[in-house]
Amino acid sequence: MSVVEKKLFNVLLVGNPNTGKSTLFNSLTGLNQKVGNFPGVTVDKKSGTFKVNNQVVNIIDLPGTYSLAPNSEDEKVTNQYILEAKNDEIIVVVADVTNLKRNLLLLTQIMDLGKKVVLVLNMMDLLQKNNQEVNVEKLSKLLGISVIPINAHIGKGVDELKNAIVHFKANPVKFIEKDSLANAVDETMLRYGKINEIVNQCFSSKGEGKTSVLTKKIDNILTHKFYGYLIFLSILFTIFQAIFSWSSYPMELIEKGFLLLGNWLGNTLSQGILNDLIVNGIVAGLSGIFVFVPQITMLFAFIVVLEDTGYMSRVSFLMDRILRQFGLNGKSIIPLLSSTACAVPAIMSTRTITNLKERLITIMVAPLISCSARIPVYTLLIGLIISKDSSWGVFNLQGLLMMGLYLIGFIAALGAAWVMKKLIKSKEKSSFIMEMPIYRMPRWKNVGLSIYSKVQVFLFDAGKIIVAISIVLWVLSSYGPSNTFEKIEEKYAVETNNYSSLSEKEINHLISAEKLEASYAGIIGKTIEPLIQPIGFDWKIGISLVTSFAAREVFVGTMATLYSVGDEENTMSIREKMMNAKNAETGEKLYSTATTMSLLLFYAFAMQCMATLAVVYRETKSIKWPLIQLTYMGVLAYLSSFIVYHIFA
Amino acid sequence: MTTLDQLIENESGTICNICDEQLALQLLTMGFILGEEIKVERIAPLHDPMIITSGCNCLSIRKKDAKLIEINKAS
Repeated sequence: MSVVEKKLFNVLLVGNPNTGKSTLFNSLTGLNQKVGNFPGVTVDKKSGTFKVNNQVVNIIDLPGTYSLAPNSEDEKVTNQYILEAKNDEIIVVVADVTNLKRNLLLLTQIMDLGKKVVLVLNMMDLLQKNNQEVNVEKLSKLLGISVIPINAHIGKGVDELKNAIVHFKANPVKFIEKDSLANAVDETMLRYGKINEIVNQCFSSKGEGKTSVLTKKIDNILTHKFYGYLIFLSILFTIFQAIFSWSSYPMELIEKGFLLLGNWLGNTLSQGILNDLIVNGIVAGLSGIFVFVPQITMLFAFIVVLEDTGYMSRVSFLMDRILRQFGLNGKSIIPLLSSTACAVPAIMSTRTITNLKERLITIMVAPLISCSARIPVYTLLIGLIISKDSSWGVFNLQGLLMMGLYLIGFIAALGAAWVMKKLIKSKEKSSFIMEMPIYRMPRWKNVGLSIYSKVQVFLFDAGKIIVAISIVLWVLSSYGPSNTFEKIEEKYAVETNNYSSLSEKEINHLISAEKLEASYAGIIGKTIEPLIQPIGFDWKIGISLVTSFAAREVFVGTMATLYSVGDEENTMSIREKMMNAKNAETGEKLYSTATTMSLLLFYAFAMQCMATLAVVYRETKSIKWPLIQLTYMGVLAYLSSFIVYHIFA
Repeated sequence: MTTLDQLIENESGTICNICDEQLALQLLTMGFILGEEIKVERIAPLHDPMIITSGCNCLSIRKKDAKLIEINKAS
C-alpha cells in the first residue's frame, strides 16, 4: 500500500482593490473554487484549492483592503482573518507593482503582526509601458521575505508563487515597534517614511506612464459635462435595444423545450396527482425561471464588462450629485441598473455601498425598477388596448407605452428614495471616496466568472423560492373545499348534450377553468374582489395577483387557464379571449383602457416577488425592511391604480 | 489657508493637514500622503464630486470632504 503524503496548507490572499487579486485567484484555482458567505455577514467568500507536488493548498480570497483600519463590512472581514491567521497559515499580499508605495503599506502592517507573508508583484507587464523599473531581488532582501513577480493576466510567475508557498522561508524585518505610537495617522506616516527608503532603493520611475495619459484622454470625453451623459444614455439605449432583439429567440427555444418536457412527462408518467404536480407545479415553475436566463445573462454581461473596464466608476462619478439628492449614492447606479434584469442579484450588489442608510434606501427602491419578469405582463396587457400598428409620429405606440412604464418605475424609485431620505434618521457620515481605476480592456475570464456567479444567484437563490411558491400555488389552484371538483366533472358528464358541438379538448378547457374558479385560489380571488373592485379588477384578476407572487410573469399563464385557452404559448388567443371578456354586472368590456392601465401600473409598482422579499430579509437581517417594502409598494400600487382607473373610467 | 475644494480643474498643491482623523487615515491608506502633491484632475459636470490625484493614486471625493483638506496651493 502506498501512502501519498498530503499536507494541507492554508493561504489567505489579500491586497488593495484593483491589484488583480481575483485574476490571480482564478489562475491559481481554476474551476476548483466556490463562492459562499462569511459567517454572520453578507460578504462573499471565495475559496478554492490547488495542488503542488501532491500537497493540497487551501486558499481564501479575502475582500480587497487598503490597510488594517477597516472602513466597510468587507474590509472588517479581511482585517479579522489577518489578525486571526494562525502560525502555519501563509498570507499572500498581492501588490500592484506600478503603485508600490501605497501597496506596501498593508504589507508592512501585516509583517509587523508577525505573520508569515509572501509578497506578489502583479502587473509586471505594465512596468515598461509606465517607464518604471523595479529590482525584485533587492526588494526581497530589504524586506526579508519572498517576492514573486507575476503577470496574473497570462499566468506568468504562478508556478514560482506555488513553490514559494510550499517552501516558505523568511527573515522579515520589523518596521514599527508595537504601541510605540498611539495615533494611527502618525503611525501610518512613519510607515510611509520607512517604505519610501526601501522603494527609493529598488524602484525608479521616469515621467508619467502611458496608461494614465490614455485614461485622462478617455476621461475627457466620458466625463464631459455634455457628452458624458449623452454617451451614458446611448450605451443604455443600445443595451436595451440589443437585449430585446437578441433574447427573444433563445427565450422561445427554452419555453418550447420545457413545453415538450412537460408534455412528455405528462404522457409518460402514470396519470394522477403526482403527474399533475410535476408537470403543472414543478416543470412550469422551472420553465418560468429558465426562460429569463438569456435576458438576465445578457444584461449582466453588459454591466460586468462596463464595470471591468473602469467605466462604471465614471458613471457613478457623474451620477453621484444627482443621486445624492434622493438619499442614494453614486455607487447606487449599479444596483439600479442591475434591477432591470432581476432585483435579487441587484440587491446583493448594494454591498459596495458603505453608508448604511444609502444602502438601505437603494435596497428598498430597487424593486420599483421594471425587471425582466414584468415584460411578458406588460406585453400582453399593452396589446389589449393598443393595436400593433398604431403610431404617434414615427414612434410605435406600443413601444412608447412600454418605455413609459420603465420610466415611471425609475421615477417612482427616485421619489420613494427621496421620501425615505427624509424619514430614515442616520448620524453616519456619507461620503463618496472611491478609487478611479485606469481604463483597460475587459479581462474576459473574470467577466465570465462574474456573470456566471450573478446568473447562479438568480437561478438558485431566486429559483428555489419560485419553485417552492409554484408548488404552493399549484396546491391552491388544484384543490377546492370538499367535493366541488367532482361536482363539476359530474355536471359535464351528465350534460353532454349541451356541449355536443364542442370537441373533447374544448370541454376539458372549460372544466379546468371552472375548477380553477372553485379552487382555493379562486376562493381567495373572490374574497379579495371587494377590495380590488375600486381599482377595476374582478376575481379573475384577483387570482392572478395571488399567483403572481411566485414571479410576476405567472400572470400570463394564469390568464390562459382562467380563459380556458389551454395553450399558453398562444398569446394571441389569450389576448382575444381577454378582449372579449365582459364585466359580469354591466356587460361592458372588462379589459377597458381604465382597467388595463390600472393593472399595468399595479404590476409596475406592487411588490409581488417572494424571492426579492427573501433576499431583502437576508441582506438587512431584519423582517422589518421586507415588511415595510411590501406595504409601501402595495399602497403605492393601489393608489396609483385607483387614480388611473378613475381618470380613464 | 486654502482648502482643496477651492481649487479648479488642473490646479495643484501640497497636502498640509486633514481636519478629520478618520478621513485623514482613509486618504493616507489610499496613497494621499501629507506633504505630497495633490491635484484636482476633474470636477463633475454638476460641480461635485471631484476626481483628485496624488502620484498614481486617483480617487473621487465630495466637496464637503475636500473642504477638510488643507493645502499649500502651488503657484
